[in-house]
Amino acid sequence: MSEVESAYNMNTAYLASLVLIVSAIYVVRLVTILPFFHTQSRVRKETRDEASVLRTQKLSKKPLKIFVFLGSGGHTGEMLRLLQNYKDLLLDQSIIYVGYSDQASRQKFCSLAQNFPRCQVKYYEFMKAREVKATLLQSVKTIIGTLVQSLVHVIRIRLSMCGSPHLFLLNGPGTCCIITFWLKTIELVLLFLDSSHIVYVESLARINTPSLTGKILYWVVDEFVVQWRELRDNCLPRSKWFGILV
Amino acid sequence: MEKKTIFVTCGATIPFSKLVSCVLSDGFTRELVEYGFVRLIIQFGRNFATRFDQLVQERGGKVERTDIRIPDDEFGCDGNVSRYSLMDGTLEVIGFDFSAKVQKIISDFSDLVISHAGTGSILDSLRLNKPLIICVNDSLMDNHQQQIADKFVALGYVWSCVPTEISLTASLRASQTEKLKPFPVSHNSGFERLLNDVVYS
Repeated sequence: MSEVESAYNMNTAYLASLVLIVSAIYVVRLVTILPFFHTQSRVRKETRDEASVLRTQKLSKKPLKIFVFLGSGGHTGEMLRLLQNYKDLLLDQSIIYVGYSDQASRQKFCSLAQNFPRCQVKYYEFMKAREVKATLLQSVKTIIGTLVQSLVHVIRIRLSMCGSPHLFLLNGPGTCCIITFWLKTIELVLLFLDSSHIVYVESLARINTPSLTGKILYWVVDEFVVQWRELRDNCLPRSKWFGILV
Repeated sequence: MEKKTIFVTCGATIPFSKLVSCVLSDGFTRELVEYGFVRLIIQFGRNFATRFDQLVQERGGKVERTDIRIPDDEFGCDGNVSRYSLMDGTLEVIGFDFSAKVQKIISDFSDLVISHAGTGSILDSLRLNKPLIICVNDSLMDNHQQQIADKFVALGYVWSCVPTEISLTASLRASQTEKLKPFPVSHNSGFERLLNDVVYS
């Protein structure tokens, strides 16, 4: 065997092992960012008492950063009610990133935010994924456009949340699937990024079956919350039920 | 007898013609007046104004210009507010397409609410502790509205009906004789703890 040839073989061996190591790292990463491997830590957390809630809140000096997505009509209504109901935790001195796809939702959020002057709001417009009566070519174009635009928004929002306590609060709109997909992709690529903290709250209208968005996100989000016990018991055993939240 | 107001909301986007014609029907309005209602406020939804005026006029409603107790701007709508008097002036009818102040109308003026089965409208009334009749739009393809109505009726939080004069009148009677169960408060410390744990984990 000539020297050149053995050097070549060595290089391939190095390359192969490098590829193997990198792919192993990404497999491990994929496993750690998906939620069904977190059950252990969750059980431990549930034993904490209520006093510790206040303690952790006080310890953290950095403002809470929250992303919410407002789709349309009913979903927007439920999201605004959620924020209002948990205003002490969510709307006090926090920075809110609002994703929206129709002007009416944005206006509704504006009028809610007026009551919380200590809360900072940033708006991001997302294009609608589906347009009625579009041809195939037009739909492909809009879908690609939506994907690219939402990726840009999601990267910006996600990176500005680094190092602060943060939360992605989502409910039914289809765009939430795209947002979650990008969030998880970013987590996969940036190895040392912390978890995105995604909480999904299923619509009050869903009593016996989850929505399509719910069915997809059930496997990916950190916490999946339903508002009817039947839904948890019959379809989504990993979900949590606390009663009506909106 | 106290002078009561009933508020009817059809949802903003999808017209609910059957509900509007039922609440304007002879039998229902007569019963309303008997139970001491003097005012009927209707949010009939977008693109329905002409049809609404037509319906009220068919029932013999006369355009009301005098004796305005609630000024137009209280209703928070961009469109016109139609005002009529029905049943020889014993029932004041006020209609508009869409209000941005539905919660204020419910809390300040209404003694009873009739709503389509959208969760938003249902919650508006229940959160303000007003007695509510849900009317399910049976011409919609969406059976979630039926499910949510059945569920809330089973829990005793509302009365429900279909958009017919008989069914609506029966629910009105029930609302004047029966009591509803109180709707539980929405704040839940378990969910707040979950949010907190996720945020600060």
